[in-house]
Amino acid sequence: MTAIPVYDPRGVVDAAPLTTAPRAKKLEGLRLGLLDNTKWNANKLLRGVRDRLAQKHAFGAVNYYRKESFSLSAAPGLLSEIAANNDVVLTAIGD
Amino acid sequence: MGKSDPIATPPQTDASQAPEGTDLIEWYYERGWSDGFPLVPPTPEKIAVAVAALGGEPGHLVSRVPPRWGSLTREVLAINMVMAGCRPEYAPVVEAAMLALCDARFNLNGVQATTHMASPLLVVNGPVRKRVGMNAGCNVFGSGNRANATIGRALRLVLLNVGGGWPGLLDKSTLGHPGKYTYCIAENEEASPFAPYHVEKGYRIEDSTVFVLAAEPPHSVTNHFANDAEGILDSICSAMSTICNNNAVSAGHCAVVLGPEHAVTVAKSRWKRHDIRHYLWAHSGNRWGDLYGNGRYGSVYNRNLPVWYKREPDARTPIVPSPDNIHLFVAGGEAGRFSAFIPGWGHMSAPVLRGVGDARPAGGPECSDGACAV
Amino acid sequence: MHDTVMLEAKGRPTAAIVTSEFLLEAETQRDALGMTGLGAVVITHPLSSLTDEEIGRRIEQALPQIERVWLTGKAGGN
Repeated sequence: MTAIPVYDPRGVVDAAPLTTAPRAKKLEGLRLGLLDNTKWNANKLLRGVRDRLAQKHAFGAVNYYRKESFSLSAAPGLLSEIAANNDVVLTAIGD
Repeated sequence: MGKSDPIATPPQTDASQAPEGTDLIEWYYERGWSDGFPLVPPTPEKIAVAVAALGGEPGHLVSRVPPRWGSLTREVLAINMVMAGCRPEYAPVVEAAMLALCDARFNLNGVQATTHMASPLLVVNGPVRKRVGMNAGCNVFGSGNRANATIGRALRLVLLNVGGGWPGLLDKSTLGHPGKYTYCIAENEEASPFAPYHVEKGYRIEDSTVFVLAAEPPHSVTNHFANDAEGILDSICSAMSTICNNNAVSAGHCAVVLGPEHAVTVAKSRWKRHDIRHYLWAHSGNRWGDLYGNGRYGSVYNRNLPVWYKREPDARTPIVPSPDNIHLFVAGGEAGRFSAFIPGWGHMSAPVLRGVGDARPAGGPECSDGACAV
Repeated sequence: MHDTVMLEAKGRPTAAIVTSEFLLEAETQRDALGMTGLGAVVITHPLSSLTDEEIGRRIEQALPQIERVWLTGKAGGN
């Protein structure tokens, strides 16, 4: 009985594990950053969520950012700026 | 294994085994790795020959393919090439095309996942076309040629299997189009009265190149009545000037393919590549108001279009932002007065032109201003 | 998801809102980048064609998930 070799065309996924950020303990006083990827209605969704969250929590600051292109990753400079000036971030929309 | 687990990390590019007497066509169908057509069952010999044609070193990483970011080693690429039905000598073209597709500017991640129907179009230039037996003539976008069919298919199999771009899972394309089976042509440099595309872009005529564009299907342009450049090109302008092709609302790049009869007529007016692209750009477009229903749904700005397009109802909106965003090729058979407009996806992806093997742009004679008679 | 993973890697809890149709893609991207522990906020697809009232309902759907992602890392109840 001669077995026949068969082959997998998919290749492996090599991903060096990344840990998530330490979680926030509370939201009061934190700086909130919103990143809008400019897809249709992302801005309405983000602004609506922002307003409700800001009513509930006394954020230290609220900052709104927009990507250049909805499809490409945000420019590294933009991400650094967001990280430097905010404590929690909200992004939209993956659709 | 199987499509329900797109992140499966099979350790084997080493062979597994199937029992003697297994119907391998059905076995590969059952694994969920097929594009719908039967896969050629790889053998150790065929894979070894394909790996050698790619340069040896089976574990050498060619690229990672989004959105799954699977590792495309030479061995994995060889497996997909054999499954597609490629001959080993197609290897330099397939590898160059994969590198072009994985260039960050192409944004393969976005192209794979979009709801738009765009699929990468591959156009090959230079001596490699004849060396591997590609078709640049009659029925160039159609079937019947092994090189065109299987080079394009190998790319699609990699995008499916390594990239994870399965319809409904990570490929969200609402409609798709037949180019998602294969979408690969050669420019008909021999029948063209103009310089080849890659020479216009700075390569030498003896270089071979691959060009990739995320593209809709070709839209046929019929014109049997015009006997000068303007008449032919006005028909192409008309095909371009629709509100619903993706360039109209997303900018970016597109392609125009002149059939040889049309190309010869345009050349008789002594027009060159530069003239053609500028004429097409200058005399195509949409009325801004028509793009969004003339106010019926409120006023629309559309941040995907350049800020310098006027957002006024009667303003002319270009199809693409520049004549350099129109990629012009001559292809097809020498009988028939037809050309084609091929819209792209939009600004979200840039087309990529890449040398096959060691070819690099020479910075040599500039043909794009019409001065070169090649 | 790429931006979200990068922001988390920079130490900022980040809640990414995706529609239900794109959850699989988001999880694939997140896993491919190595951050399997990150939750996403899921709202019912679509978003782009909705009226303001319908968007209001998506806002309701998102709010509790956002807070959970910031505070626990998981949206819960996806």
